[in-house]
Amino acid sequence: MRAGALAAVALTALAACAPSRAPEDIAARVSTKVMSPFCPGVTLHDCPSGRADELRLEIQRWAAAGMDEQAILARLEREYGPAVRAAPPAEGAGWLAWLLPGLALAGGGILAWRTLARWTSAPGAPTAGQIEATPAERRRLEAELERAREAR
Amino acid sequence: MNSLAGLGRPSILAALALCVAATVLYAAGALSKRVDLSRAGLRALQMTFAFTALAGAALLSALVTRDFSLAYVANYTSRSLPMLYTVAAWWGGMEGSLLFWTVLLTGFAALACRRALATSERLAPWAGAVLAAVALFFLVVLAVPADPFARLAAVPADGKGLNPLLQSPAMAVHPPLLYMGFVGFSIPFAYALAALFTGKLDEAWLRLTRRWTLFAWSALSIGIVLGGAWAYTELGWGGYWAWDPVENASFMPWLTATAFLHSVVIQEKRRMLKVWNVLLILLTYALAVFGTFLTRSGLLSSIHTFSQGPVGKWFLPFLGALVIGGLAVVAWRYDELRSENRYDSLLSREAAFLLNNVLFVAAAFTVLWGTIYPIVAEFVTGTRFSVGPPFFNTVFTPIGLALIGLTGIGPLISWRAMRSASLWRIARTPLATGVVVAIALGLSGVRSTGALLAFSLCAFTAAAIVGEFARGSRVHRRRDGLDLVGSLARTVARNRRRYGGYIVHLGVVLIVIGFAGSAFRVERQALLGRGESMELGPYTLTYQGLRTWETPEKAINEVVISVDRNGEPLTTLSPQLNVHFAQDQRQSEIAIRTTPVEDLYAVVTSIDRDGDIALRAFVNPLTWWIWAGAAVMLVGMAILLAGVPGAPSTAPVPARRAEPAVLAR
Repeated sequence: MRAGALAAVALTALAACAPSRAPEDIAARVSTKVMSPFCPGVTLHDCPSGRADELRLEIQRWAAAGMDEQAILARLEREYGPAVRAAPPAEGAGWLAWLLPGLALAGGGILAWRTLARWTSAPGAPTAGQIEATPAERRRLEAELERAREAR
Repeated sequence: MNSLAGLGRPSILAALALCVAATVLYAAGALSKRVDLSRAGLRALQMTFAFTALAGAALLSALVTRDFSLAYVANYTSRSLPMLYTVAAWWGGMEGSLLFWTVLLTGFAALACRRALATSERLAPWAGAVLAAVALFFLVVLAVPADPFARLAAVPADGKGLNPLLQSPAMAVHPPLLYMGFVGFSIPFAYALAALFTGKLDEAWLRLTRRWTLFAWSALSIGIVLGGAWAYTELGWGGYWAWDPVENASFMPWLTATAFLHSVVIQEKRRMLKVWNVLLILLTYALAVFGTFLTRSGLLSSIHTFSQGPVGKWFLPFLGALVIGGLAVVAWRYDELRSENRYDSLLSREAAFLLNNVLFVAAAFTVLWGTIYPIVAEFVTGTRFSVGPPFFNTVFTPIGLALIGLTGIGPLISWRAMRSASLWRIARTPLATGVVVAIALGLSGVRSTGALLAFSLCAFTAAAIVGEFARGSRVHRRRDGLDLVGSLARTVARNRRRYGGYIVHLGVVLIVIGFAGSAFRVERQALLGRGESMELGPYTLTYQGLRTWETPEKAINEVVISVDRNGEPLTTLSPQLNVHFAQDQRQSEIAIRTTPVEDLYAVVTSIDRDGDIALRAFVNPLTWWIWAGAAVMLVGMAILLAGVPGAPSTAPVPARRAEPAVLAR
C-alpha cells in the first residue's frame, strides 16, 4: 500500500510538468488539434498537402511571435470555421460527444455489477456439513490445485 | 494477349442463380429436416463458389493482360504498373474488392459447410442457408450496381494506374487480410443464427466455429497492424493510426470480436453468457458490414474511402435486416438462452472476463460514436463538427489502459472464486514490477502521465504473464526433469489455448509499449537549401544534394540527407519525392532508420525550382516494438489455431459440489 501511495504521489508530481513552449513544439501540438482545411478527414499534422506544409510553418511563426496554443486555435477557428477543431467543443451539442462514451461505460459497468451481484451466491458461514480447513491444509490444498491446473 | 474477361459477367450471373438455389435448398432442408435437400444445397453452394472464383480469375486475367476495355482495369492499372500492384488492383477499387469479398465468402462458406452435415445435422442446414443468403446479397450487388466487368465504349491506350499511395507491399497484403477477417466472422455469425433458429443453444455452435473465429480474428488483427505499417511507411506524417473512419471501421469489429473470443470461454466452461455471446457475434458481423457500408457510401471523408458510388445505399437495408432480424431472433429465444450456472464470487475469472467484455464493448461504442457523431450532430443541429484524434485519444486511452491492466490481472484469478489473500500472493510480484518501472521511469525524467501509466501497466502485465509461464514450466521441470526450454515447450504444448493466449497478450503488451513511445515523439519541419541543416533532438540533418532520374512509371527526385548524432556522423537518409506520370500525382517516399530504441523518419514534402526542399523529420521512440509485438501475436495466434481440436479442448468447470466449500467463499 505504501509503495502504491508513493507511486501515486510521484505520478501526480510528474503530471504537473508543463509541455514544451518551443514554437516548433507548439506548432506540432496545434497541428494535431485541428483538421486540415486541405485534406478531407485528416488533421493538419497528418496532411501531406503542400498547403498544409505552409500552414504548419505559418503556425510556427505565430508561435514564435508569442501567440499561445489557445490564441492560435481561436485564430484558426475564425479563419476556417468551428469544424476545423479536431474535437467537438465541451459545450452545447458538443457535450453529447464527450458524455455518451462515459455514460455507456458507466451503464455497462453498472449493468455488469448488478448482474454479478444478482447471480452471485451470497457468502455465508460454513454449514454444519462443512469442515473449516486449517491454514496449513488450505495452503496445501491450493498448492495441489495449482499443480493440477498446470498439469492439465 | 486475350483476357478471360468475357467469362466474368456470365460467371457472376450463374453464381447468382446457383446461390438462389443454395439458399432455397438449404432453407427447405432445414425446415423439412430432409438431409437430401441440404446436401443439394451444399452442392449448389460449392458451385456458387466455383463460378464466383471463375469470375475472380476472369478479372485477374483482365488485370494482368491489361485489358483496358474493362472500365475497372482502365481505372486501376496502367501498362507501367509493376505486376505485384497489378494483382493488388483486384482489391484496389470498389467493384474488384466486392468481387474479392464474394470469392472469399463463397469459398469460406463452401469450406465450412463441406463436412458440416456430418458433424451437426441440425445446425448445418440453417448455417448454410444464412451463408448462402449473405452471399446472395453480395452477388446481387456485383450483378447490378457494382459490375467489375463493365465495358468502356472507347478503349483507352493506357489505364489511369493504381493510386501511388496503394503501391506498397503492405497494401498488397493488408486489404485481403482485413477481408478474410470480416468474411471469416460470417461463419460464427451464421452458426449463431442457426443455433437460434433450431433452439440448439448449447456450446455446439461455438465448438464448430472456434477455428473460424480464431482465424478471422487473427487475420483481422494482422490486417489492422499491416494497415498501420502502410500508413507509417507511405503517408508521411510520422504516425501509424489516425482514427480515420475507415481505420475505425476495421477496429470496431476487432474490439467486439476480441470480447467474443473471451466471453465464449465462459460459456464453454460455465454455460453462462449465452445471450451475450450471440449478441456479440451479431454485433461483430454487423460492424464488419457497417464498415463496408461506411467505406463505400461517401458519408464520411477519409483518405481510404473508395470512390463514392451507388453501392452504399444497397448496404443500408442489408445492415438493417442483419441487425433487426438478429435481435428479433434473440428476443424470440431469450428465455432459452438463460445461463445454466451462477457466478460464485465477484473475485473470479468469470467476473474478470465480464469486466473485460464491458470495457471492450464500451471501447467499440466509443469508436462507433466518435465515427458517426459528425453525421448525427449535423443532422440534429445543422452544425458540422469534426471528431479526430484528440477526441479518440482522450476517450479511448483510459479504457485501453484499463484493458491492459485487466490483461495482467485476469489470468491470475481462478475460475469460480478466489480468496483475496491468494490473489495478493500471486499478484504482488507483477504489481511490484509495475510500481518499480513507474518510479524508475519517473526518476529518469519521463514526464508523461499517460506513458508512465502505460509502461507500468505493461510491466505489470508482462510480469504476470512471465509468472504464469514460470509456474507452468516449474511443474514440468520438477516432474519430468526437463530443462527450461523443454519445460516451457511442454507447458505450451500441453495447453495451447491458454499459453497461446498468453503469448498473444504479450504481443499486445509490446504493441502498447510502442504506442506509449509516441508520447516522446520529437518532430521538426524546415525549408532547407543545399548544405543547410535542421536540428532534431540529438540529430543534425543536413541537406547534401538532389539526385533525379526517371523510370517508365515515375520521375524520381531523391534527396540526400546526412545525419549526425551528437556531432558524430551516423548515417545517410534518402527520402524521395516522385511524380507518377499516369496519375500526374506527387508521392513522397519516406526514409526511415529504425532501431528498437527509436526511428529516425524523414519525408520531403516539396522541392522548388532552385532545389530547395521542405523537410519534415521525426524521432519516433519505440515504434519498432509495435511491429515486434505484432510478430509475437502472430506466433501466439499460430499456437492458438494449432490447438483448436474438433472437440472441446477445455473441460467444463466442475459443478459447485465438487469444489471445496471453504475455498469457494
